[in-house]
Amino acid sequence: MADAPKLALVLMSPELERLHAAAMMGSVAAMSGMEVNIFVTMGATKMFLKETVEKQDFVLTDVGKTLLEKKVDLYYKLFEDAKEMGSLKVYICSLVSDLMDWKREDFLDIVEDIVGVVAFFGMAEGAQIVTV
Amino acid sequence: MPDKVVDARGSYCPGPLMELIKTIKKADVGAVIEVLSSDQGSAKDIPEWVKKSGNELVYSEKDEAGGYWRIAVKKVK
Repeated sequence: MADAPKLALVLMSPELERLHAAAMMGSVAAMSGMEVNIFVTMGATKMFLKETVEKQDFVLTDVGKTLLEKKVDLYYKLFEDAKEMGSLKVYICSLVSDLMDWKREDFLDIVEDIVGVVAFFGMAEGAQIVTV
Repeated sequence: MPDKVVDARGSYCPGPLMELIKTIKKADVGAVIEVLSSDQGSAKDIPEWVKKSGNELVYSEKDEAGGYWRIAVKKVK
């Protein structure tokens, strides 16, 4: 898989619709044979906590509200499916988890690991990097 | 006649495409998979994916009465 085209997504926003856009791009890319690495940092980090998803405590704008109303499969489900069918890995920013005192076990099972920027750059080497 | 029909009606983009990819991965080379999709975006996206993935689009047609698309793909590799 070393020669597979690579995509790296940097998620910063807590908004549901932005997470959804990233999940769509990431999952379609992974299922089309691309190697996808996702770095979750800043405001997006909280959205990968088990507690947030259990409480459906999302940040909603117009499209986000409609995603919920129409019961569309949300970002964590899309990432989960993509992980099963392709190469997609989700990493949490170590700075944010340290600052907020969130532990590995507080995060969703789709999360691969908690890493720093240097580790992420290593994974993203040669990839197209898209910030959402 | 398709070898398998995937009914993804009611599922939003990229749901129908995902269902198709899952099914194609498991299918034998030469198999024809038909996807039913009520999602307009998927009607455009699926043929694009088929072209890019090197498979073959057999047909893509809209069932006007039912308001959904029938898209058939042949797995060539």
